[in-house]
Amino acid sequence: MAKAFGIVNTAGNHIWVEGLENYRTIGAFSFLGRYRVIDFPISNFSNSDIEQIKVFVRRKPRSLIDHLGTGRHYSINSKRGKLQVLFSENSADNDIYNTDIAAFYENLDIIERMHEQYVIIAPNYMVFVQNFDALLQSHIESEADITMLYHSVDNAKEAYLNCDLLNLNKQKGVLSIEKNRGTAKNRNIFMATYVMKKDLFIELVKKARKISSMYTLPQIVNRECEELDIRGVAHRGYFATITDFKSYYDANLSLIDSKMAASLFDEDWPIYTRTNDSSPTQYFEECDVKYSVVSNGCLIEGSVENSVIGRGCVIRKGAVVKNSILLPGALIGEDARIENQVVDKRARIIHAKEVIATPEKPGYVRRDDTL
Amino acid sequence: MKQNNMVAMILAGGRGSRLHDLTNKVAKPAVSYGGKYRIVDFPLSNCANSGIDVVGVLTQYESVLLNSYVAAGRRWGLDAKGSGVFVLPPREKADANLDVYRGTADAISQNIDFIDTYNPEYLLVLSGDHIYKMNYAKMLDYHKENHADATIAVIGVPMREASRFGIMNTNDDGVIYEFEEKPEKPKSNLASMGIYIFDWKQLRKLLVADMKNPDSHHDFGKDIIPALLNDGKRLMAYKFKGYWKDVGTIDSLWEANMDLLDKKNELDLSDPTWKIYTEDVTTLPHYVGAEADIKRAFITQGCVIEGEVKNSVLFTGAKVGSGAKVIDSVLMPNVVVEEGATVTRALVADGVKIGKEASVGNADSEHIELVAKRVKGVE
Repeated sequence: MAKAFGIVNTAGNHIWVEGLENYRTIGAFSFLGRYRVIDFPISNFSNSDIEQIKVFVRRKPRSLIDHLGTGRHYSINSKRGKLQVLFSENSADNDIYNTDIAAFYENLDIIERMHEQYVIIAPNYMVFVQNFDALLQSHIESEADITMLYHSVDNAKEAYLNCDLLNLNKQKGVLSIEKNRGTAKNRNIFMATYVMKKDLFIELVKKARKISSMYTLPQIVNRECEELDIRGVAHRGYFATITDFKSYYDANLSLIDSKMAASLFDEDWPIYTRTNDSSPTQYFEECDVKYSVVSNGCLIEGSVENSVIGRGCVIRKGAVVKNSILLPGALIGEDARIENQVVDKRARIIHAKEVIATPEKPGYVRRDDTL
Repeated sequence: MKQNNMVAMILAGGRGSRLHDLTNKVAKPAVSYGGKYRIVDFPLSNCANSGIDVVGVLTQYESVLLNSYVAAGRRWGLDAKGSGVFVLPPREKADANLDVYRGTADAISQNIDFIDTYNPEYLLVLSGDHIYKMNYAKMLDYHKENHADATIAVIGVPMREASRFGIMNTNDDGVIYEFEEKPEKPKSNLASMGIYIFDWKQLRKLLVADMKNPDSHHDFGKDIIPALLNDGKRLMAYKFKGYWKDVGTIDSLWEANMDLLDKKNELDLSDPTWKIYTEDVTTLPHYVGAEADIKRAFITQGCVIEGEVKNSVLFTGAKVGSGAKVIDSVLMPNVVVEEGATVTRALVADGVKIGKEASVGNADSEHIELVAKRVKGVE
């Protein structure tokens, strides 16, 4: 039996992805055509032999629940393993009460009943691969109380602005956790991933509740930095956060680059997702497709460049799709021109002939909308 | 869910020797088709979509891969309680010697005990190596409405080709009065599709008798159907309209793949109400490079295209290097066409590598070239 169980956590209240998040939680966002963001943390758990996984969801659960189903597609043993979705009652009065700690506290009975000694917490709004079993081993060997995963970046002034960062001493001890306010280029961005004993986790949740109803997990951990032995472990490889509209757009387009994709996808570390049984994609005589990632089930007669095309999209004759992300089932009508757009699920661009934005400020077409 | 009272048996024991090297290691029903499917996905998906719960798959030739493939009934949704796909290779029984399946009818006869455990009213017998979409529930309705003892699905073929098929001669009301196997002078163009619905109790009696008959071929076409006709039973022809292909040769397998490139292809694999289910492979979506040039193609997940692809079907994980050309061809799963290589009018078997600058196939050849071994390129 694995020594740890997994928790997939939601983003804090300060994180909001305009447009897309009106319809679903970030974990359920379509990613790189055939995936959802949550496929990454769950595949990481599954590949690390951690088969007891608790997925927290705070709002708009429909799309996420539909995608997760029984969890069989994540190759979790159906008897020994379990993928469980945990809800929390949102406070209608004020969103400040809807913290991750509040959600953990509400489901504390389930967490207390877990047999595993350790818990690994990972976010549903970041894309990376990490061997959690190796992380757990290094955590146990280090005898630290908490291990936190971070990624060193050199562009923290303009990116990762809604994320937390870790201040570390030379021995990788965590001195404090704070918000990235874009004041320096080189930062250790916290990947919202923790390893600790289950008992310590429960203790922290209870303690946080006593201190403040608004407290979040990073806040209570920050408060304990002096008392506990908290260490940072650096992550290498592809890392993207989905913390606003631009970062969602950029992360998708960045993975068209095959070298970049190779730093995330590894044959020995499969990223599982739910099959949709779509047929292969059909390319017609008039089409012109360059430098793009295309999912199954599409019909392509028009031009596509530097774009990510979701399952079952239709691109009609004379249409041009450039620097854009089409979510599953989008339709681009004859001679329509789409540039720097995120076109949400099943949206149809029929009457509009030009929907054009800039790469710096990409546009958004709503789900099921007809333009 | 309790569905119709019919058990399906898929005959999947054939080798398909005219597919040459493609079936050296796998039986014909396990041969890849249409980018992401195997041929046996079609009858299995048809069963699932027609509300049939219990499907037996009769395997014999090179059945290891086929057995493990079809045993995962979940892929086709055949995993509800009381539902399942059962792999049925020949097996030793207490009262008989271990015997291979001697013919299509014998394969069913040797599994009478299996069918009896479900005590079905009707038995559907299918072939595991045809590509088509068909609602067997409708065929069963037709069988019941006509109070038939057996119903055989037929398809109209061009009259000049009729002598290649088993032909059903019918009255105006669809009653079959005669069956002719590959007739020299066909009287009708209604070819048997090898899809039968029988009243199970009746068929069971006939099969028991047939097993003991030393002169029988133990074959549905040669023995069982003629016996039913001799007995004066009511046999109905169920006319099927739509795409149907028996991919017996490399040329016809290639052609069936090419059919998918037509704008309004009859098979329509993207119909959401009649999906064809298959193995769920964990791969990325396909990648199209900056220098790629794709026209008229059918491409699936896991492919990487840096070169030119025209009028071709690419299966899961096929790779086309930069400057390479794939014209009028079929690349089976995980084929690699390295930089500058050319593939023309060829069918490249699973996992075969075409080396740098190498060239296979010929635009003017009458037949499609099967490439089943690695082709060395410039080192």
